[in-house]
Amino acid sequence: MHNLSRQGLIAAAAVAALAAAGCAGGGQVEQKPDKPALFQPGSAIGYQKYGKDYPATTVKDVPGPCSYESISRKDYSGQTLKIITHAVPVIGEPTKLHAKQFEELTGAKVEVVNVPFGELHQKILTPLQAGQPAYDVMFYPSLWIGDMAPYLAPVPKEYLDTPGMKDVTKAFMGVATWNGTVVQYPVDGDRHYLKIRTDVLKDPKQQAAYKAATGRDLEVPKTWAEYAQVASFFTGKDFDGDGKPNFGSAEVTKRDDLMFSAFISRAAPYVKNPGVKGGVFFDVETMQPLINTPGFVRALDDMVKAKSAWPPGGANFGLGDEIFSFGGGQTLMSYSWDDAFIQAQQPDSRVRNKVEAAPLPGSDEVYNRTTKAWDKTPNQAPYFTWGWTSAVAKTARNQKMAFDYLCFFSNEANTALDLTIGRFGVNPYRNSHFDAAFWEKQGWDKDTAEAYVRTLSDMEKSTNRVFDLRVPGVNEYMSSLANGVAAALAGQKAPQQALDDVAREWTDITGQIGKDKVQAAYRNVVALEDNS
Amino acid sequence: MSRLYATFKYTVIAIWACFVAGPFMWAMTTSFKDANGVQGGATYIPWLQYKPTVTGWHNIFGGAGGVDVVHPFVNSAVITVAASAISLVLGSLAAYGLSRYRFKAGFIKNSDIVFFFVSQRIMPPVVLVVPFFYLLQSVNLLDSIPGLVIVTVALLLPIAVWVMVDFFNGIPREIDEMAMLDGCSPFEAFVRAILPNSLPGLTVAAMFCAVFGWNDFFFAFRLTFTEVQTLPQAVVALNSSIPPWWTLSAAALFGISPLVLLAVWVERYLSKGNLSGAVR
Amino acid sequence: MDGLRRHKSMFLLPGLLTLVLIIIFPLLFTIRVSFSGWNVSNPQMDFVGGANYVKMLHDSRFWASILRLGLLAGGTVLIQYVIGFGVALLVWRDLRGRRFWRVLFLIPMMTTPVVMAAIWQTIFHESLGPVNDLLGRLGLSPVHWLTGSGPALAALMTVEVWQWTPFMFLLLLAGLLSLPKEPFMAAAIDGAGVWRTFRKVTFPLMAPVSVSAIIIRLIEASKLSDSVYVLTSGGPGSSTESPGYYLYIRGLKEQQTGYGGALSLTYLVLMIVTLTVVAALLAKAFKVKGNA
Repeated sequence: MHNLSRQGLIAAAAVAALAAAGCAGGGQVEQKPDKPALFQPGSAIGYQKYGKDYPATTVKDVPGPCSYESISRKDYSGQTLKIITHAVPVIGEPTKLHAKQFEELTGAKVEVVNVPFGELHQKILTPLQAGQPAYDVMFYPSLWIGDMAPYLAPVPKEYLDTPGMKDVTKAFMGVATWNGTVVQYPVDGDRHYLKIRTDVLKDPKQQAAYKAATGRDLEVPKTWAEYAQVASFFTGKDFDGDGKPNFGSAEVTKRDDLMFSAFISRAAPYVKNPGVKGGVFFDVETMQPLINTPGFVRALDDMVKAKSAWPPGGANFGLGDEIFSFGGGQTLMSYSWDDAFIQAQQPDSRVRNKVEAAPLPGSDEVYNRTTKAWDKTPNQAPYFTWGWTSAVAKTARNQKMAFDYLCFFSNEANTALDLTIGRFGVNPYRNSHFDAAFWEKQGWDKDTAEAYVRTLSDMEKSTNRVFDLRVPGVNEYMSSLANGVAAALAGQKAPQQALDDVAREWTDITGQIGKDKVQAAYRNVVALEDNS
Repeated sequence: MSRLYATFKYTVIAIWACFVAGPFMWAMTTSFKDANGVQGGATYIPWLQYKPTVTGWHNIFGGAGGVDVVHPFVNSAVITVAASAISLVLGSLAAYGLSRYRFKAGFIKNSDIVFFFVSQRIMPPVVLVVPFFYLLQSVNLLDSIPGLVIVTVALLLPIAVWVMVDFFNGIPREIDEMAMLDGCSPFEAFVRAILPNSLPGLTVAAMFCAVFGWNDFFFAFRLTFTEVQTLPQAVVALNSSIPPWWTLSAAALFGISPLVLLAVWVERYLSKGNLSGAVR
Repeated sequence: MDGLRRHKSMFLLPGLLTLVLIIIFPLLFTIRVSFSGWNVSNPQMDFVGGANYVKMLHDSRFWASILRLGLLAGGTVLIQYVIGFGVALLVWRDLRGRRFWRVLFLIPMMTTPVVMAAIWQTIFHESLGPVNDLLGRLGLSPVHWLTGSGPALAALMTVEVWQWTPFMFLLLLAGLLSLPKEPFMAAAIDGAGVWRTFRKVTFPLMAPVSVSAIIIRLIEASKLSDSVYVLTSGGPGSSTESPGYYLYIRGLKEQQTGYGGALSLTYLVLMIVTLTVVAALLAKAFKVKGNA
């Protein structure tokens, strides 16, 4: 109790001090007159001068409040912007690159710290909760919104009205919104989808062999059952003729890495019934966990069986391993983030233009939790997994400068360049990004580009989607889920048993965090899922 | 027999040397690869098996896709030296006291005090880091070098005490007694007569302090924000979801370099044989 | 007497007080927080009684990890001791290029564990790493280094042995170099062979250093966490979780500060008791052998 009152005092003092600092900072900005622009409207923008491994492409600066020209008129000299972001290169490298440019344009000093994924949550949240103004701008996975929201500054109207923001797709504006307020600044869009080697798929010899063995035509798998069949057929065969055996499927399976997302991908079509609204992970009305219902159990069954089609080490793959395996030509298929696909399409990639994007496999039937039976209808449920997002802390010394940085980060010229660099982790999130011609210009084959754009934009239209569990304490839920899935994969528990245990833990976690809190947050997720 | 023994001896040493050096060799060759060099499977010999590039090395010295390692290097050096120095001074004083005098407070005896020091190393770091955060916040030392020095001292002091108590126990008491007969105060006796004889012990203690101080990632990582970065942090910042093996390898090799010099220095003391009693 | 007391405290107190000052708040904080429900969305010092401790009693992952530590710490330290002693004996006396070997054998302990674990991860990578590649060249089938529970434990222990055998090596070599010459001469006069000399002279003389080195390594090894995190993240399933890593997941990754505090304190008490007992047993064992 002593502690509480002491903390209260500290917090109050901190708030007072911050308020004062905020005023001083804000005042300074207003007083500084605009300086002459360093860029002409529409000048050519390129990254070559920052390093020779950046593409030589240049794009035109698109006029607007976030353009090179507009930002270069601002004078933030003598001020410091503190940014925390993911490790280099994924989102960490563009953060640093644009920070450097922002310094050159505005005279501000920008300090960037890069942090590995596993540490990012804790490293951002601890100072926020302690009231320590450690970072002004934060880049993090969008599913943490429930933990972060109380500490974030809402995006001001002038930034919501920029053309760039207006162009962000409905799904990703939804991802950035918490209880009706936009608190995250969209800088990336992500989803899971299928990646497959078209050179193998279209090879008549392979087609014939597959037909002979299975009696089916070799085509892009439409269901997880077909995925399993194709994957196991090609496992152990040397389909690329490099003298080493190839494998069917590379998946993200490392327990405390991003495995939970892979599992949700596999479960989505079994659990998201278009006829049943009101929650995939929980019944939003009762907050009863649904994680041990037959749909999830079947997905876990599938995943356990799929092990035989994984390459060596495939049961401990992080995202990087998955990318190396698929991008290096070792495996036929994979499903995960955009990053993996763009990486496979880089100019120096071994599998460039031999790969194709397709929607995640669906299912022949989908579980109906109201009737407690399987509905025998084919089902598709795209999974909008988390992507990178950014936000400004309430404690930021100069919020305007912080938002200007994000607005500059995501301006049209920068985004157009960032999208093409696979390791940057910036993926389509604006309507204008769904343009096959843009990708063809990057040297993609017409088919590849069109399939990619179609896959992505179709997901936007779906009314039967799955999002992450965007509630407070999401890490605890996902850590518990990953642990259960890992136990089943390792053969320590049967799938049903493993998920029953997860459900029990989830009930405990909900109790700890507070049922009302989680329920209120989950209602927002349900609204996104049903695209209502 | 002796020929056989020699063969055996050199074989064992060669095997062990391969095992010890293997990871460094692998890191060395990996540091000259790029994504294509890594993806195709394990390769070892540049030019013959893969096309070498210096991207990895370029990246750690200001290249676009990397991290700056020079600043963090300086920070790490400052923190390590300061914390080691403080720990050595406080540690040898305490160790000397524990070695020469008898302390008693209730049931607590000398050995219990030594154990108290050493037991600080048993504490899992996870326990300490959250309270340390609030502690440093209350004195406004988060994200600062002095703050990290304080925390690092807590990690190093137990090591210094552990090494030095054993060492002082090995120095005959007659030496201090003689000095005190000559009119020295106990403190002067310690400085004039004991310390000069303690260089080997101090060397070992200093080396342990330097190693543990230099390599601390856990605390430095969690008690700093953007201003102070140490070298391990800079290297770990490369452990991304698409890990650039090449840059990581180059950074790892760079981070080891100063400590290799330390190893050479320690070995000189070893060879002279005057680490006698440093460990007992 | 007064003067003596002043001198005594003058030596001991600065160090002792510094450590106590730095450590006391974290310790009290942890004790207090272990009785609170402090978690990610509720960072408060409320009071939940012994709920965290009750939960811990049923936490089979925690207890399994503690048992596993017996193998991981005990096993690796034993291997480190045997190899460290063996190698130290080999480079102790006449050997060509012995200074080079000595420096080389010291280097691994100088490296940052969390960074080297990342390098080891690439080495044990089952598709792209050199270990399986070399096994393949010898005609052996690839080993599931990071995905089979047995091999994963072996991989972890390999990394620990690589990193910390030099620590043993250094302490034992320094011990060997400071041994008195007389007992060896006496043994030579008696006509004792290499093995007999080792058993009757070297080993007993090295007993105090050995005990000390083993204990300090056990203390450090029990905190094993970084390599688990990087190499296997506790998998497959939970079969490579160490207490240090489990505490990290609960206390930091999931930010269950209250529950993490309860686990940590329990762990701390268990370790202090175990290590005290082990230290006593070791001292006894070595002395007994020394007398024989």
